[in-house]
Amino acid sequence: MRKITLFALSTCPVCKKVKTFLDEHNIPCEIIEVDTLDSGEQWFMTKELQKYNPQATYPTLVICDVIKGYDPDLLKKKLLSSNS
Amino acid sequence: MTPEELYEILNKYAHQQGIELNKDKEFTLDIIRGLLKNEERYGYRSCPCRLATGIKERDEDIICPCKYRDEDIKEYGSCYCYLYVSKEWNEGKIPHVVVPERRPLRR
Repeated sequence: MRKITLFALSTCPVCKKVKTFLDEHNIPCEIIEVDTLDSGEQWFMTKELQKYNPQATYPTLVICDVIKGYDPDLLKKKLLSSNS
Repeated sequence: MTPEELYEILNKYAHQQGIELNKDKEFTLDIIRGLLKNEERYGYRSCPCRLATGIKERDEDIICPCKYRDEDIKEYGSCYCYLYVSKEWNEGKIPHVVVPERRPLRR
C-alpha cells in the first residue's frame, strides 16, 4: 500500500547512501535515476519531483500512502501511530 | 584520468585553498567518479549531486568547485555534495548537517 519513490542521480554518492539504507532495511522502492533519462523524460520527472520538493534536489525520497474507503482501524494505524 | 589521479590533484588544490577533501576516501572517490562521468557526458565536471542541463552557460554555477562552495563551507563546514570540507568538519568538531541547496530555483 505504501509507495516509496526515490528520485536520485546515478552520479550522486549521497543518493547511493539512501539506496543502501533502503536495501539494508529491505524496503522496496522505485528508484528513478533522473540523469540517466532522455531530456524529455528528465523534464517530466523534474516536474513530478517538484510536486514534493520544489527545489528538485537529490536525493528526494517520497513516501506515499493511499487509503481506499473507510477503514477506521487502518486510518488509526496510518494516521495516529507514530510507527506508521 | 583515473579517479585516484584526480583525487591527488584535488587534494593538493584543496590544501592550497586552506580546506580539505572529505576524509572518507571511498565516498570522496565516488564523488570524483561522478565528476568524471559528467565530464564524459557534458565536457565539464558539473556537480554530481545536481542535475546538469548539458548546456555549459546554464550549468556554469555548478561546475565543480561550484559557485556556492565557499559560502557553504563557511556556514556548514562542507560544500553541498560533501567533497570539499573544512578541517573542523573533517575532525568532527562541527556537526555534519544536510547542506541546503543555495542555488536559486530554476524555472
